[in-house]
Amino acid sequence: MITVENLTKKFETITAVENISFNINESEIFGFLGPNGAGKTTTIRMLSTLISQTSGKMTIDNRSPESDGEYIRSIIGLLTESPGMYEKISAYDNLDYYSSFYSISNTIRKNNIKKYLKMFDLWDRKDDLAGTYSKGMKQKLALSRALIHKPKILFLDEPTAGLDPESAHMVRNFIESLKKEKTTVFLCTHNLEEASNLSDRVCIIKRKIIRIATLSELQSDDKNKRVEIVFTDDADRYIKLMEEIDEIKNIQTDKNKATLVIGKPEISNPIIIKKLVDSGAGVLYFNEIKATLEEIYLDLIKDKEAK
Amino acid sequence: MKNAAVIFKKEIKEVIRNKNIWMPILIITAIFSIVMPLVLILGSGSILKDEDTINFINKMFGQVGDPLKVLIGFALKQLLIFLLILPAMVPSLIAPSSVIMEKENNTLEPLLATPIKTSELLLGKSLTAMVPAFVISTINFIILIIVVDTAAFIKLGYAPLPTVEWVIVAFLLSPILSFILTMASIIVSSKSTDIRAAQGIGSVIILPIYLVIGLQLAGFFLLNITYLLIGCLILLVICPLVLRLAIKIFNRENILTRWKMKA
Repeated sequence: MITVENLTKKFETITAVENISFNINESEIFGFLGPNGAGKTTTIRMLSTLISQTSGKMTIDNRSPESDGEYIRSIIGLLTESPGMYEKISAYDNLDYYSSFYSISNTIRKNNIKKYLKMFDLWDRKDDLAGTYSKGMKQKLALSRALIHKPKILFLDEPTAGLDPESAHMVRNFIESLKKEKTTVFLCTHNLEEASNLSDRVCIIKRKIIRIATLSELQSDDKNKRVEIVFTDDADRYIKLMEEIDEIKNIQTDKNKATLVIGKPEISNPIIIKKLVDSGAGVLYFNEIKATLEEIYLDLIKDKEAK
Repeated sequence: MKNAAVIFKKEIKEVIRNKNIWMPILIITAIFSIVMPLVLILGSGSILKDEDTINFINKMFGQVGDPLKVLIGFALKQLLIFLLILPAMVPSLIAPSSVIMEKENNTLEPLLATPIKTSELLLGKSLTAMVPAFVISTINFIILIIVVDTAAFIKLGYAPLPTVEWVIVAFLLSPILSFILTMASIIVSSKSTDIRAAQGIGSVIILPIYLVIGLQLAGFFLLNITYLLIGCLILLVICPLVLRLAIKIFNRENILTRWKMKA
């Protein structure tokens, strides 16, 4: 659905994005993560044909932004990081205005406006001026605006920013439901838990791409595997014993739990379990602890900075 | 064209609601179309009691039969130029706010992400500035004629307006000037960092009109049909140039990345 090859964008002397390449499949949710100033918004702007690239190629739905910008803009929806609304007109009129630029019939347009205003609990206040809306309500209205023409590709820049937990949960469920409608979602977020729960793959960027992978690929690549052992009694009793096992790199205990940093699990785990059981330790559970996306992200960004 | 009409329809409603645009227009209309002609025509009798004024008229127009008629004729030539102030001022009030407010309110990026063409956006925004300018100028023209003719009829027993010169200014020169100043305002808006800068520069653009008023008052020339038609021709040559420049500058990348971002 989206292909990007060696894309670079320079603003005079500043290189915002350098030589990035990726492909996004239809109905995929693609998490696009990176610190502030990493080039996320610039990438979204290039993909949504708002700005041109300095070099490199990209296609959206097999069309090039240079020659088919109008078509591309007709199949994408964009939720910007700071979504603005015309404050002096009603929420309904805001959606009616933006949707007028798409080739959809009046009936479908009106039905879609009603559908999304109801879905986001804004229907009862549809005639209120957008300027009287709270930040969260404006965010929901902006999301409705991005969806009003049923786009094939949705670019979401911080979709749950400013939303209360209930609304954020509802928006996340909605984003997940878009997969069934074959909508491709390009999701920029600083909420790594959200990215981890929603994304099929994530791309970590800091001007250049650091890594593109699924969460499980990122977790299996993690150099420092961790396991948790729950003992029947105080874990401190077994510290000395565990320190003698070469495969254990680090030990942390808390009451009857011990968290161990190990090397390769297929080698380390059988040795650790055997030694503990042979020495009479009461092992209740032995679990793998998977690194969170946040931990992996911070490690990757730290590595990139160190380089 | 449909998209330009959608933009125009929405924007014109906002212009109508915006007091900051209407108040200066009302004040200028009241001064230049009502107060000034009334004072000039009804007060001209007392001016002529002044010997220096009589000498000035004789020096400028030679020995004339009825100095009052000559003085009113001269006053009407000045008012003719004032007809150009509103068509010049209205676009520089509306166009920058219509364009820069979009950026300041973060509404421009989602708008540019729709299938709208840049030319349609430019046309919609231009019409929002030009149509009110034309309507206001025409209303101003009608008010001036009514006020001048009424006052002149009371004072002299005849109604001097409209003349061919006035019709040329109202329906040829004014729309051309509005078009040029609208394009100039959009060009300036595309390069300005904020709305005040754009409007400040917009007000500088209308300075040449004040220059014409000053030169005429100083007696350098008197506007007639020939001068006005030459003026129209010169401005018509400028029209495609400013349009081309506006289209070149008013592109998505320029207006998204070069304008001041709201934090």
